[in-house]
Amino acid sequence: MATTKLGFIVQRPPYKSENPKLALTHAIATQSVEVYLNEGDTVTADIAFIGDGVLNCKKDQKAMDYYGLTSTEQHIKMALLVDINIWVCKEDVEKFGLSEDDLVLDAEEFGADMTVNVVPYSEISKKMEEMNHLLFF
Amino acid sequence: MGKLTIGCFASLVGSLNLDFAVKLSAAAIEKGHTVDLWVSGNGTMLSIKDQRPFKDYSHLEKPLKELMAKGLTVTACEACAEARGYNKDVTMEGFKRHSMDWYLASTFSADRVLHIGGE
Amino acid sequence: MKLAVFVSDYRMTVDTLDRLSPEKMGIILVQNGVYHATLKENGTPSALLNKSAEFYALKEDLETRGLDASNVDSKVKVITLGDVVDLIFNDYEKTAWI
Repeated sequence: MATTKLGFIVQRPPYKSENPKLALTHAIATQSVEVYLNEGDTVTADIAFIGDGVLNCKKDQKAMDYYGLTSTEQHIKMALLVDINIWVCKEDVEKFGLSEDDLVLDAEEFGADMTVNVVPYSEISKKMEEMNHLLFF
Repeated sequence: MGKLTIGCFASLVGSLNLDFAVKLSAAAIEKGHTVDLWVSGNGTMLSIKDQRPFKDYSHLEKPLKELMAKGLTVTACEACAEARGYNKDVTMEGFKRHSMDWYLASTFSADRVLHIGGE
Repeated sequence: MKLAVFVSDYRMTVDTLDRLSPEKMGIILVQNGVYHATLKENGTPSALLNKSAEFYALKEDLETRGLDASNVDSKVKVITLGDVVDLIFNDYEKTAWI
């Protein structure tokens, strides 16, 4: 029985690049990874938003209304629903003049227990040390 | 010898990121390592067969087939491919198609992972 | 953490590299990242070379751009793709392509 820990670092804003969305959809795919693995083995994916990447976490996105696309906000909620750890860099949120009130922090409407953690970069840095592999998006 | 899992999300033509991924795969296999190559997003363009080797565009079908013959496993994100109209009929022989969990599962047994994001 | 960071651009659109502080860092310059190894804008080498890291530049990406290994900054070691493989497996535990 073993666990491989992946750290997904999202450093770009949404929509102009497919990277942030692919980070979230790949992370959500951890839900079915065990079909490829031996019993008891698993892979986890935790997501950290840093730099311009924190802009993915702005709430009230209306990508579905204007482009017919699932918003990054919705993908974050789906990730919370499947118990993925999400960290957002506090310093970067503040740099953009945003506060926690501006961010998607939970997915209560879907029944998710997990919440987004807004933390200092130093905590994200520590988490990166704990991961087996890092993937930068 | 170890296992290297490479993920690449960039398109076939443009950034040369896929060229780098294929060349690095070749160098690793040459040294006796095992390589899994996963392409997702625009990277799924790599999976299309009958790439015409114009000199002005990256063309990787030939080296890719040579590497597959040497043991390279290369897999495309099925949803990303289908979204772009790259269906099974136009997929290169030997090129696998799976859901995103395949990439994650590949990292489980990998000694090293190199994730090359998209444009 | 021993981290190999691949830098593939000269003008970077993210500031991630400035935040990374692993115990050991290797910066592998590939694609347009190799300009960091050779260009001196207004006579000044790239600020990236001031970081606390080992520096490498991919020979074939230098030569693709008309750059000669003899013009590479003394801090930078010119390497082949085979060397990149060895660095990944032998010298560093994790990688980052930024």
